[in-house]
Amino acid sequence: MTNQTLALLILLFPVAGAILLAGRGWRLPRIFTVIIGPGVVWASFVCVLALFSGKAHGDFTYWSWIKSGSLDVPFNLLIDNLSIFMCLVITGVGGLIVTYSVGYMEREDDPSYARFFVYMDIFIFSMLLLVLAGNFIFLIVGWAMVGLSSYLLIGFWYQRHSAVVAARKAFVMNVIGDVGMILGTFVLFVNLHAITYSGVFQAVPHTDNGNLELAACLLLVGAVAKSAQLPLHTWLPDAMEGPTPVSALIHAATMVTAGVYLVGRMYPIYDVAVYAHGAVAIIGAVTALFAATIAIVQTDIKRVLAYSTMSQIGYMFLAVGIGAYAAGFFHLLSHAFFKALLFMAAGNVIHAMHDEQDMRKYGGLWGQMRPTSISFLVGSLSLVGVIPFVGFFSKEQILGLAFSKPNDSLALIVWIIGAATALITGFYTGRMWWMSFWGKPSPQRPVEHPHAPSLVMMVPVGILAVLATVGGLLQTRALGSFGPSLVNDFLAPAVGPLRWEGDWSEVVIGLSTMVLATALFLAAMRIRPWSAYVPWAQRMLERKYYFDEIYDASFVRPMDAVAGFALRGIEEPVIDAAVVDTGLLARAGAASLSLTQSGYFRNYVLVFVGGAVVAAVILLLRASS
Amino acid sequence: MSTLNIGGSQIDTSWFLLLSAVLFILGTTGVLVRRNPLVILISIELMMNAANLALVTFSRQLQNMDGQLFALMSMTVAAAEAVVGLAILVDIFRTRDAEDVDDLSELRG
Amino acid sequence: MAIAVFFVAAAMAVLGGIGVISFHQPIRSVLSLVVVMLALSVEFLLLSAQFVFAVQIIVYAGAVMVLFLFVIALLGPARELGRGRLRFQAWLSGLFVLVLLGLMWAMLQGVQYRQPDSKADMSIFGTVQAIGAGLFTTYLYPFELTSILLLVAAIGAIYLSRKRIDDL
Repeated sequence: MTNQTLALLILLFPVAGAILLAGRGWRLPRIFTVIIGPGVVWASFVCVLALFSGKAHGDFTYWSWIKSGSLDVPFNLLIDNLSIFMCLVITGVGGLIVTYSVGYMEREDDPSYARFFVYMDIFIFSMLLLVLAGNFIFLIVGWAMVGLSSYLLIGFWYQRHSAVVAARKAFVMNVIGDVGMILGTFVLFVNLHAITYSGVFQAVPHTDNGNLELAACLLLVGAVAKSAQLPLHTWLPDAMEGPTPVSALIHAATMVTAGVYLVGRMYPIYDVAVYAHGAVAIIGAVTALFAATIAIVQTDIKRVLAYSTMSQIGYMFLAVGIGAYAAGFFHLLSHAFFKALLFMAAGNVIHAMHDEQDMRKYGGLWGQMRPTSISFLVGSLSLVGVIPFVGFFSKEQILGLAFSKPNDSLALIVWIIGAATALITGFYTGRMWWMSFWGKPSPQRPVEHPHAPSLVMMVPVGILAVLATVGGLLQTRALGSFGPSLVNDFLAPAVGPLRWEGDWSEVVIGLSTMVLATALFLAAMRIRPWSAYVPWAQRMLERKYYFDEIYDASFVRPMDAVAGFALRGIEEPVIDAAVVDTGLLARAGAASLSLTQSGYFRNYVLVFVGGAVVAAVILLLRASS
Repeated sequence: MSTLNIGGSQIDTSWFLLLSAVLFILGTTGVLVRRNPLVILISIELMMNAANLALVTFSRQLQNMDGQLFALMSMTVAAAEAVVGLAILVDIFRTRDAEDVDDLSELRG
Repeated sequence: MAIAVFFVAAAMAVLGGIGVISFHQPIRSVLSLVVVMLALSVEFLLLSAQFVFAVQIIVYAGAVMVLFLFVIALLGPARELGRGRLRFQAWLSGLFVLVLLGLMWAMLQGVQYRQPDSKADMSIFGTVQAIGAGLFTTYLYPFELTSILLLVAAIGAIYLSRKRIDDL
């Protein structure tokens, strides 16, 4: 089986699964859905493994789609180490999450159950298309389809009004990003006359910087929207209306990392477009801090994790923004491990608590749900960045590289912001852990004795816990320039080698940040409510810095007014009237014409004779002329 | 101008045609004005007779037998039509008191 | 002499026609039509159509008119009530027919007749022999179809006037 076929199979398996389930899965017994839904994702994973072990790479063209003048759009897949890396994450972690959701969604009825897996398979397919595409057009196709899948999955429980509103919000913001992507592609095509990655990257050195800056900024808009960075971030917390596996897969491990992938893939452009590149780093750092502060006051466990995701992706943007591409992708991998772990463990708790998500009503779960609690602790420590978990290695590597980047004041600034964020991360993570799992059970608990999660829900969590623990061994650069650096080496052919070497100061910084963060983690158990001192701060954080209100006032209300005017002022009086009145006119015409049908025989004969008179006149005139 | 040699004297063809036209007009008036269905049928017969006269006139004028043969056919058809028309008429008006063609106006609108 | 015959017959025909449309009792209209037919048969004779003259009297005046008389006998005396419902019918009809008459009269002014092309044998013109020759050779097909038409009409009449079991 050639690499070319394998690459196509990676895409075809999820699509086939989706179509099969959408076509017949509704009516067949549940076991069918259980096998096909996750099964196709694992089949894809096997294909990716085959490509990975065979060290495959190449630009495979399958067919030529558009050929029009200088616009030549083929359907091609680019297999290099970066795309294989992303596919491993998507299919591997995705496979675990889809398997987990077999148990989580068991309470749905059969058609909804199948529908869920249809949507998940569509999502996996879209995400794979996004990372495998070899040209901008199919990148955008995958991009848009991922947004669609997100909409479908957030609004999965469509009878719930809040879910529908959240899905719509996510979709609209994603579309803003899509527009940026499309415009960026246009700019690139107009100036570089190429649409495939190889064509574009070859033409970059010969192109004017201004155009590249513009294209890079436009593409950045897309990345910001998809990855929920400032200012297009408001949809991510609301997206928690979807089922927990959806939050784990889409809003933690894969879709929101598409922006990071984009910047990494476009690194030849961003290396040249320094202003846009700097913007990436600044946006990432600011978002990281911003999101971490909001996470402090959240009471819904999934919201804390959502803001945490926003913050960690800020770290990834920070990394690729300063040029440490491989470090950013390593954090992507480790974040996929521990964030999916956290979401799924939280899902175990939510499932046992009969869909209660308010942390204030938890408490004391350590004693009652031991395996889940341990997994959650592993994930939390990874998030804070404690040795030996993988989060330490990836996050501290980023901070160390930011600190040690030579001749770059921007990197230093973002390092300061990143370090502050790490400390706050320790605090909110600790708060989340102590409130939910320690202490005495809250009197408002909905369930006295939560049931243990089923095997299909516990095993993926366990696997991820193990990965989060040992994953650090992949790359121990954070502790010095010894030890394996598998991720760097693997990605070097795709994103370039590490551009600068750190020194022992990196390690010191990293370790000290870890110590401070851990201290805050532990202290979170005992810190008094500080909101009594600064109530305005509490309010501002609870209102998420009033972003939703500002957007509502500046965008939503004017659009509502315009739409209302269009409805009442244009649609109804003009267009509706034109259509309806045409019908009325026809009816009135017919009514008046039907008066000639009097029913009297003699009238008809009269008309007859009248016609004969007319004919005679015509004949006479004809004859006489 | 064409005259026909009839019994030694010359009569203008147009006189016959004028007679035919007058009879035709009379028949048309009958169809339009009278309300008794029988009278309407009779007026139609009158119109057909006028047409026959025109046919025979032209046959004589052109010295071609076709006109008279056509007139024969026309008579046959008139007979058949009168038969069927009368049968229908009898069927409709047998049970009514007055015979008025204006009563049959169900197909209005 | 022939002219006088022509004008007398013509006058009778026109008077009969006026009678057809004027009498209120249908029996009188039928009898007026008989007068018209007899007058027309004289006209046919003047035009050398001997066979048509005979057929007109025997078939048309003799059979068809008798049929009408039978129907009048069947339906009984008829009453045409009131003024009728169509108000404009009368004078609009009068207008149209007068216009039509005027047009026909105008057509007859300055008309140029086509002359007969070949000299036909006038000794047998209009005789039974000539009619037979035409009907059974050139116009055989219409002749046969006409006979079928008569058959159809007869069947139709029998069917339409059969006794119904239910009312009406």
